[in-house]
Amino acid sequence: MATTSESVDLVGQESTRNLARAALFAALVGAFAYVSFPFPLSPAPVTLQVLGVFLTGVLLGPVWGATALVIYLAAGALGAPIFAGGAGGIGHLVGATAGYLWSYPVAAGIIGFVVHRGPTLRDLGTVGVPTLVGGLIAGTVVIYAAGVTGLTLVLGLGPVEATVQGALVFLPAEAAKIAAVIGIVRSDALAAV
Amino acid sequence: MTLTYVPADSAFHRLDPRSKLFLQVAFATAAYAYTTPQGLAVLTTVAVGCVWAAGETVRTVAWGYRFSAPFLLVAPIVAGVTIGQPWFHLADAFSTGLASYRIAIVLLVAGSFVRSTPVRESRAAIQWLLPGRPGRILGVGVALVFRFLPLLRHDLVSTRAAVHARCGTERPVHRRMRIVAVAGIARALGRADRLATALTARCFAWNPTLPTLRFSRADGPVVLLATGLVVAAIVRIA
Repeated sequence: MATTSESVDLVGQESTRNLARAALFAALVGAFAYVSFPFPLSPAPVTLQVLGVFLTGVLLGPVWGATALVIYLAAGALGAPIFAGGAGGIGHLVGATAGYLWSYPVAAGIIGFVVHRGPTLRDLGTVGVPTLVGGLIAGTVVIYAAGVTGLTLVLGLGPVEATVQGALVFLPAEAAKIAAVIGIVRSDALAAV
Repeated sequence: MTLTYVPADSAFHRLDPRSKLFLQVAFATAAYAYTTPQGLAVLTTVAVGCVWAAGETVRTVAWGYRFSAPFLLVAPIVAGVTIGQPWFHLADAFSTGLASYRIAIVLLVAGSFVRSTPVRESRAAIQWLLPGRPGRILGVGVALVFRFLPLLRHDLVSTRAAVHARCGTERPVHRRMRIVAVAGIARALGRADRLATALTARCFAWNPTLPTLRFSRADGPVVLLATGLVVAAIVRIA
């Protein structure tokens, strides 16, 4: 029997930790898609998915935050049931909600970059609320701009129709999510982790 | 029930994951190029054929994607409604309806892939498609997402149950989101750090041994069909 030998290329400790965190956050964004809250002003129940994107950018920073969401998209495309409502498959990446999905890595990258003022992570305790809000609003704008563009391209809706169906009705819920993220980052709840 | 891999011995299960991925991409491209009633009718037969070849029924796969239905069903109505006379443009609703239907059949083909391809093979296909470290990071990450999703979902479900048991539903929405999210993140970070320690202890490497991917005779017709779809799409667009 023929045998082959190959040397093992070990992954460094820091990269292993970052990769494990990125993968777990990708799974967490997927798990958040199952948690929905009825929201007074929204026609559909609001899931925590976008909150997961916000938190990934804030906690993992621009590089690993964006990586986590690329992993999320790849896992969903290959069939992990992690897109809205527990669906998966490559079809979603060209479907009605494709614009939102493709924007997630970009949004997490931008949020991470604004909050950490560069590619390296800084202590979240030193980040002011205005910076945090600014980063999250920039991320929200990216997500909804891409989502609305996706709706116009994929479903052939006009810009006004797409903005009403795909953005305006969800914006009040996004404000609640931004408030929740600030509460999470400012609270002591995550100080131990 | 969600759509996941189911072990079986269907024609699709025996195919190489790369040819199935190629077929999916080719099908989506063709569906975008031929969003006409005739084009979509032909593509529907291909989509239903894929579902059958994966040993599934259209009903089961469609049920797995039921959460996409509201978006797809509402879009034609939103597109058709106008303020003022004549209140409803049938032509606008029809073209958006075709676009919605196109997505539904693309999802059917994607569902056939999901039902018939194990994670290990998908990971090997990713690393074949994207060589080097980016492919490996993506391959490992995807495998870990499949592994940890049920655990993280369970963490969130138990947190919500605890919130409900303590009359948490009477709190404002952003407070409830915060409680569930904090618990989810704390557990996820804890799991990630334990996982990293375990991976390091087990000599986590950039070059693990993955299943060998091999094209068989059965892949021939699928690759041909996919190539045909891509060529047809290019001809149409050009």
